[in-house]
Formats: sequence, C-alpha cells, structure tokens
Amino acid sequence: MGQHLLSMIVFLPLFGALVMALGRSGLRLLRTGTLAISAVTTLLSFTLAFLFTADGSMQFVRKVPWISNYGITYYLGVDLISLVLLLVIAVLMPLLYLYMHEEKRKGFWYSMLLLQSGVSGVILSLDAILFYLFWEMMLLPVFLMIGRYGAGERSYNVMQLLLMTLLGSLTMLYAILYMGYRFYSISGHWSYAVEDLAKLRFESETDILLAAGFLLAFVIKIPLVGFHTWMAPAYGSAPTPAVVILSAVMAKLGVYGIWRFGFSLFGDTLTLYAPGIIALSLFGLLYYTLRAISQDGLREMFAFASGAHLSMITLGLLLANIYAWSGSLYFIATHAFSSAGMFLMLGLLYRRSGTFAISELGGIAQRAPKFAFFFIFFALSVAGLPGTGGFVSELLIIIGAFKSNLWIGVFAAMSMVAAVLYLFTMSRKVLFGESSEATERFDDLSPLETTILVPLVLLLLAMGIFPSLFMSIFDTQLSIMLDAFREGVA
Amino acid sequence: MLLDLILLAPFAAALVGGLLYLYDPQARREKIYSIIALTPVLLGAVLSLVIGWSFIFGETTHIESTLFEWLHVGDLRIALTLSVDRLSMVMLFFVTFVGALIHIYSAGYMSGDSGYGKFFAYLNLFMASMLLLILADNPVIMFIGWELVGLCSYLLIGFYYREEAAIPAANKAFIVNRIGDFVFIMGVALLFVTVGVNGFGFTAIEASITKIDTAMLSLIGLLLFVGAMGKSAQIPLYVWLPDAMAGPTPVSALIHAATMVTAGVYMVARFDFLYSRIPGVGEFIAVIGIASALLAAVIASYQSDIKKILAYSTVSQLGYMFAAVGVGAYSAGLFHVFTHAFFKALLFLGAGAIIIALSHEQNIFRMGGLRKDSRLLYYTMLIATFSIAGIPPFAGFFSKDAILVSLLSTGHYTLWSLATFGVFLTSYYMFRLFFAVFHARSYGFRVLKPLPLTMTVPLVVLAVGTATLGLLGVGGTFGNFLGLADIHAEADHTIEYLLAIFNLFVVAAGAGLAYRLFAQEAEPPNEESRVRRLLVHKFYIDEIYGYVFVKPLYFIASFTGNLIDHKVLGRMILLGVEGYRRAGEGFGKLQNGRVRFYTLYMLVGISYISYYLLSILGGI
Repeated sequence: MGQHLLSMIVFLPLFGALVMALGRSGLRLLRTGTLAISAVTTLLSFTLAFLFTADGSMQFVRKVPWISNYGITYYLGVDLISLVLLLVIAVLMPLLYLYMHEEKRKGFWYSMLLLQSGVSGVILSLDAILFYLFWEMMLLPVFLMIGRYGAGERSYNVMQLLLMTLLGSLTMLYAILYMGYRFYSISGHWSYAVEDLAKLRFESETDILLAAGFLLAFVIKIPLVGFHTWMAPAYGSAPTPAVVILSAVMAKLGVYGIWRFGFSLFGDTLTLYAPGIIALSLFGLLYYTLRAISQDGLREMFAFASGAHLSMITLGLLLANIYAWSGSLYFIATHAFSSAGMFLMLGLLYRRSGTFAISELGGIAQRAPKFAFFFIFFALSVAGLPGTGGFVSELLIIIGAFKSNLWIGVFAAMSMVAAVLYLFTMSRKVLFGESSEATERFDDLSPLETTILVPLVLLLLAMGIFPSLFMSIFDTQLSIMLDAFREGVA
Repeated sequence: MLLDLILLAPFAAALVGGLLYLYDPQARREKIYSIIALTPVLLGAVLSLVIGWSFIFGETTHIESTLFEWLHVGDLRIALTLSVDRLSMVMLFFVTFVGALIHIYSAGYMSGDSGYGKFFAYLNLFMASMLLLILADNPVIMFIGWELVGLCSYLLIGFYYREEAAIPAANKAFIVNRIGDFVFIMGVALLFVTVGVNGFGFTAIEASITKIDTAMLSLIGLLLFVGAMGKSAQIPLYVWLPDAMAGPTPVSALIHAATMVTAGVYMVARFDFLYSRIPGVGEFIAVIGIASALLAAVIASYQSDIKKILAYSTVSQLGYMFAAVGVGAYSAGLFHVFTHAFFKALLFLGAGAIIIALSHEQNIFRMGGLRKDSRLLYYTMLIATFSIAGIPPFAGFFSKDAILVSLLSTGHYTLWSLATFGVFLTSYYMFRLFFAVFHARSYGFRVLKPLPLTMTVPLVVLAVGTATLGLLGVGGTFGNFLGLADIHAEADHTIEYLLAIFNLFVVAAGAGLAYRLFAQEAEPPNEESRVRRLLVHKFYIDEIYGYVFVKPLYFIASFTGNLIDHKVLGRMILLGVEGYRRAGEGFGKLQNGRVRFYTLYMLVGISYISYYLLSILGGI
C-alpha cells in the first residue's frame, strides 16, 4: 500500500476518467463517479499526510525503470513542499466538483479529472523527463477548458497562453535533455533523476544557460511581471473551476519548480539570478496592484491580485531564509484557499447576474446578506487580514525580507496595503451601491453553495488563528533544506 | 484564567451571535441578541474590577496567562500570552467599564433596527479585539488586535450601508488605517530583526533595547508612530475619523472616541522604554500632536453637525495626549486617555440621545432650547462640557492640566503656548455646541421621544465618573500607580497653581465668547468670506488628498496598463508572431515547384557539406 500510495493519488482520476469514458457513462454516473474518485483521492492524500514523518527526506519513494535504454524512470516521491501542494489539491478538488454540480458538458468533467492527475504528477515527479511529461499533460485540459468551454475571445486567449507556456517548456526540455546527455557522457549511463542531475557540475556559462531554460518555464507559469500577458485574458476566459486551478495550483507549480529544480540543480547560478528575480517580484507586486486597480472585469482584477501574491511567494522563496521560506510555503496554501474562495464567489456571482463587470453590478448586500458576508470574508482574506492565514504568510515574508535587506523589506511590506487599494472600492460598488439590472434578482447562497464555501472559510481562519498547528513541521524541514542549499552554494 | 475569560467570552459571543444572525438575518430576536452580547461585557467589567482590586489593594503587579503557542519559526516565537501590568490594568478597566455601559446604551439605541443581531456581533468582536490589543504581551499579537479593531471599525462605520455616506466612509477608514498599519508592521519587523533573537515579548525587547543603535531605534520609533497616526487620527492621517461618524452613535462613542482611537497613545506608552531613548522622535510626536490638536480645534469651531464637532474634538484631544507622551510625560498622556474615555463617551451618548429624541437631527443650529425639554440631558452634557473644557473639579481639568504642566516643565514653551491657545479653542467650540443646543432660541414646538432606561442609566453613570474620576490624579496618584518611564521634570507647585488659574481664565474667555455669540441666537457659520469658507470646508484637506493621492493613483494605474501591457509587451508578442509569419512566407517562396531551383539548393548544400568535411579533415 505504502509504495503505491503516490501512484494511486496521481492516476486514480485519470484512470477513472478513462473507465467512465470507455463505459460511455451518463452524466449522473459521471458526476457521482467523479465525486467518489475525488473523495478517495483526498482521503489518500490525508492518509499520506498522516503517515508523513518530518525528517527532511523524500518519502513514499517509488522508482521503477520505464524507458531503461535512456535511463528514464517512473520515479515519484513526496517531501514537505510537495505535500503542502498535494494537500491543497486534496482540499480543493472535491469542492470544485461540488461546485460543478450542474455542469452538463461531459468533456468538462473529463478535463478536470485529467487536470487533477496532471498537476498531482507534476508535484510528485522526481524524474526530470516524467516531470516534463506531466507538465505538458496538464496543459491539454486547460487548453480544452478555455478553448472549448471558455468565454470571450477564448481561442485567441488560449492560443496566447499555449504559445507562451510552450515556449517555456521547450527551453526546459532542451535543458533537461542536455543535462541527461551530460550525465551519460560523464557517468556512462543515462539518468534523469533529480538527485543524479544535481551532481552535475558545469562551466558557469553553460550553467547560466541551463538555469535560464528551466527558469523561463517557471516564471511564465507563475507568471512574473513581463511574462504575464497571457494571465489576465486566460483568467477572464476560463470557466470558474479552471480559473481556480490556474490560480490556486498551477501558478504555484512555477514556484514549486524553482524550489525543486532551481535550488537543487543550480545552487550557485541561482544566487546569480536571485537579485533579478527578487527585483522582478517586487516590481510585480507594485505593477500588478496598479493593474488590478484599473480593471473593470472582476476576474481580471483578481487575476492581477493573484499575480501580486505569487510575486510575494516568489520573493520569499528567493530570499532563502527560514522566515521567508516558511512564509512562502504557508502562502502557497493560504493563497490557494483564499483565491479559490474568491474565484468561486465570482463564479456564483456570474451564475446569478450573468456578468463579471464591476460597472454592471451593485446592491447585492441587501438582497443576499449571506453572499455578501462570504464575499467580504474572502476579500479580506485576500487582503491578508489578521485572523486569516494570509496575514501569517505575509508577516513571515516581510520579516524575511527585512532580514535580508532594509529596502527589500520596505517594498515587501507594501503588500500589506496593496490589495486594500482596489478591494474596497470594488466591494463598495458590487455589494453596496445602487442595485442594477443584473442584480435585480439575486438569490442568496443555497445550502450546497454554503457547504462548498464553509470549509475554505474554516481553513483560512484556522490557519490564521493557529498557524503553529500547521507549521509545526515547517521549521525543522525547511532548516534542513536551507542548510542543504547553503552547503551547495558554499 | 480570569484573563482568558475576559478575552474569550466576547469572542465567543460574537461568534454565537453572528452565526445566529447569519442563520436567519430576517428574524427579530432582540432579547436573545442583547443577552448574548451583554453577558460577556458585563462579566468582563466585573472581572476587571476584581483584577483591579488585587492591583490596588493587594500585592499584585503582574498577571499572565498563556493560551497557546501562536507561531514558531526560526527565532520567532510568538505565544498568545495575555498579560496585565499596571498600564494595561488601567486600559482594561476603562475599556471594559465604558464598553459595558455603551453596550447597555446600544441595547436601547439600536432597538428596532433590522441589523440588531449583526450590530452586537460586531460590537462584541470589537471588544474582544480591543482587549487582545491591550492584553497582548508582544508586538505581533498586539498588531493582530490593532488590525482587528480596525476591521470592526470598518464594519460598524458601514453599518448603515444603505446610506450614501456610510460605505465610502468605512472604506476610507480602513484604507487610511491600513496605510498606517503597513508602516507599523515595518517597525515591528525591524524590531524583530534587530533584537528578536532573545524573545519578542515586551519585557524581552526592553531587556535588549540597548543593543540597537540610536539611528535604527529612531527609525523603528518613527515607523511605529506612523501606525499610531493612522489609528489615533493624527495629521496627516486624521481624515478618516470625521467621516467615521457615519456609523451608529454608540459606535462613535465606543470605538471612535473612548477606546480604539487611543490605541496609538497606549502603544507609545507601552514602548515607553523605546521612546524615552529617542527624545528626537518624541519631539516630533509632540509637534504632530499639538498641530493636530490645533487644526482639529479650528475646524471644530466651524462645523454644524454635532457628531462632526465631537469627532474633531477627539482628534484634538488625542493630539494633547500625543504631545504629553511625546515629551516623555507618559502618565499625563495616559491620564488624559483615561478621563477622555469617560467624558467623550458621555458627550457622544448624550449627542446620540439628542439625535434620537429629535428624530435624527444632527445640526446643532436646528436644535436650540433643549434645556427646557430634558433636564437629564442638559445636566449630563453640562458636566461633560465642563470636563472637556477643563473646569475643576471635573476629570478633564486634571488631566489636561497635567499635560500643560509637563509641556511647560520640560521647556517646550512654544508647544505650551500653542496648547494653551488650543484650550481656548476647545472651550469655545464646546460651549458653542452646548449653548446652541440647549440655550439658543428654540425651533418651535416639538415632542421629544422618551428615552428608555437603558439609555439614561449609562448617561448618569458616566456623568458621575466624569465628575469624580479626575480626583485620581491629585498629587500624582495616577502616575505613581502606572510607574511608566516618565521624564523627570518637577515643576514648582506655585507655578502649577498659577498655571491652573491662568488656564481657568483661558477657558472662561472661550466660554464667554461662545456665550455672547450663541446663547441667544445661534446662527450657522456663513460662508461669505474666503477664510470662513476655507474653515467650513475643513481646509479642503479631503479634496487635496483626492487630487494629490487618489486621482494620480488611478491615472498611473490605467496609464501603466496601457503603456506596458498593451504597447510594450503586447507589441513584442505581436512582433514575434509577425516575424514567425514572415519567415514562413519567406521559406514558402523557396518551395516554388521549379526543378532548377531545387537543383540549385542541392548544389549549395553539397558544396557546403564538402567544404565542411574538407575543413574537418584538414584539407583546407
């Protein structure tokens, strides 16, 4: 059981989707089946977390030869960072499937299952080629969901997303292949396992190029400012469950990539890139905030809000001290829940009013007090109010920033004020103000909808009020990883 | 144990009441809501009396209780520890006591409002957050309380969200406070980075404060003070407080007068060990304080809305408190915090009663002659007005006198004379309000709505407090009890008495002027002259902020979006796509189906390969 746990988590959704597709199952069966699959996967992920021991090592490792001629292995494993991401998926997916309750397009359900397998695979892969395959695999369902089931200029928007991410993954593939080849020419056998590639030492020019190959893929996925033109249009066109995954999970995979590959493969060279990435993150924080202020589309606004927070996460990661790292890792989870909550609220808003445009909304609070309550709550959690997990994350990153440099600290602290600049003007217009044609009839939350949102609220509160409960294993784990990184550099 | 209960009871009540309200927002159950809300605050008041008893008559100097470890990362160890020393004891006492009275008052004031349950859930949450702020034993937990009281303030200012002014005012309050808070958190983070290794409780910080060099310490002190500027409504961040009066009047009394807005002064006093090492920053604080005191007093003298006048007077009184803590007279500042809580709460509750009785009239120039209509309101408001103006034996006299003495005895003569001018203005605008409301010619026949007992009893209790509590300051009792790091500058007693008498003349002058102008025929300020218009419009500060900060922000926001995203990055991508297309077309031309072209390509290819091979083999 133990050694197959990860494989089950990764392939159960994909396998279920295949079975249901081949069995030509009806919509009801598809819905029940998907819920059951996600429930089992979530249970498995929680079991994994329960069995996980905090000793800094890779656990539940499963390594079997796959394409042995080229040393490509089926190689999965989990450490603290991938565990956090896995748990985020485990919490979100069932809620998303519940949200999709009335979704009638079968392809949409299949896409979601495929996506779940894809992102889980990315998180757990320890073989570079396998990682790359999952990395590309998760793009397919996103392409389908925006391109087929999206709104607005969906084909143009999805094309832009596809071209940019493909550009990134292509450079990453080159880098991976080159590194594998070098490993072969030095050791005499092929391997793409992360720990093997980490042993390689290159002359500095080559290392810089290889690191660039990986980093390009990751910063486009995050996206850092300058690589972000796909973001707002894609968020605007994608259906709500896809937006949630884009912002809550897939964006983090870029950060995860830097953590997994950047730090272990390119210790020295990464420190060379670090000032640039830190500068980009800080600039992104300000820039995305400014962009969010001038949006009329709610989803574009929160796309930029998400971009600003991911800039903070990236910043914390690159600062590489215990406070910033703990903050970043915690932010990965808390941002996932708050942005998932916010985008779900927007989805529910759209179901009722048929619009995302701030200028066409108004007066919701009078008609739907519960909706307004949840909306305000998630908006405040996005703003990082104390009592929600976002505050703990931002506080730690800010402390980490001051630890490394006064000015970085000053800029990072601006994240505390950034979100309130647009959130409150927005909610004033949307929730209060005059009611409009679109909000003429606006039903309050149904029991099912409340059920979807309550777990997120509770989690965000728990993570804000009892952070030590969640972070108790962060300290030792991250210290071990930090020491490893510092040794690599020194 | 007692401490935990003081804090957790209102939290629990907020949760229960809030859930009950969310479960069915339409249901009317005022009784249940008021029982849920009043029990924990009354309990809190009793418990804080018990604790106060053990402090004053027993040997206790410090109580502590750790609830749980909040965060532990690296050297950062933050526990949710509640601690009461003498400073927080004083805060605890008046917050729970005044808080309980205002809760009782609200039970009557809010009766009939459809958001009754919501109101009390917010109010309980506020009490809990304020107590968290006061009882926190480290700056991080203090900051959490600090932000949460801001949240409650936001929620309660926006309580009447159907009214036009409410939500903009609430947003303004939250955003301005957040601006202060993000600077504050910088101070906290820097403090941790410099001395946090040895623990981050206030006592631990005090023990290692000498390790910070003065420049860094001054920076930290300044950053923390900017947070206080926001929370305690000082120049330049005071603009939210007058607008905050859009909230229900009990909220204005509790949050925007008696408790939350004094958090900044409390914070400075809490960090007395830090600020007493950086007198330069203290000087700055005192200057900001006096400037705020004067500016707000001048504006208050030209307002017509009773709540706005009181709001500006709060800014002004807070300015006095900052002047005191700025020059190092922490106990004098705290004493004013203490007395101010009583008389300002009384003023607001009285104003609320007047507003309710007159069916939501807030313009003092349309009230007139209320003296005959309600003796109770007349005398309670008179006591409060005497107190804020500084007439003995009412509370405000003693605390304000202490501040003026400390300014003079520390040699801040300019600040002292400005502060004295402020005393004149205070007396003038308060008696202006008083005479206009109670004495001036009545506006015809009217029937006052009778006030319920829940509203009158708190008024009387507060009036008694206002009349007597100033005596605590006689002979420095209050200051000795607090034991803060006060600056040692003893003034001669003769000078003190002379000063007190002089101040009385100043007060009398202000009151006399107000009597001449407003006791018979009260006229609203006209806007004929340019200066008057400037004053009535509060120096156009809001408009200036709008043009200097808000508009440019939106302009830059849309400008950068258009420039960088669309013009630069968008064009780069388009160029990339275009280049790719051109290249495709170019290569397409090569493939033209003519055999002689293909032969040419082969020839070129073969020649290149031969050249390459030969070069490798070393032929060329």
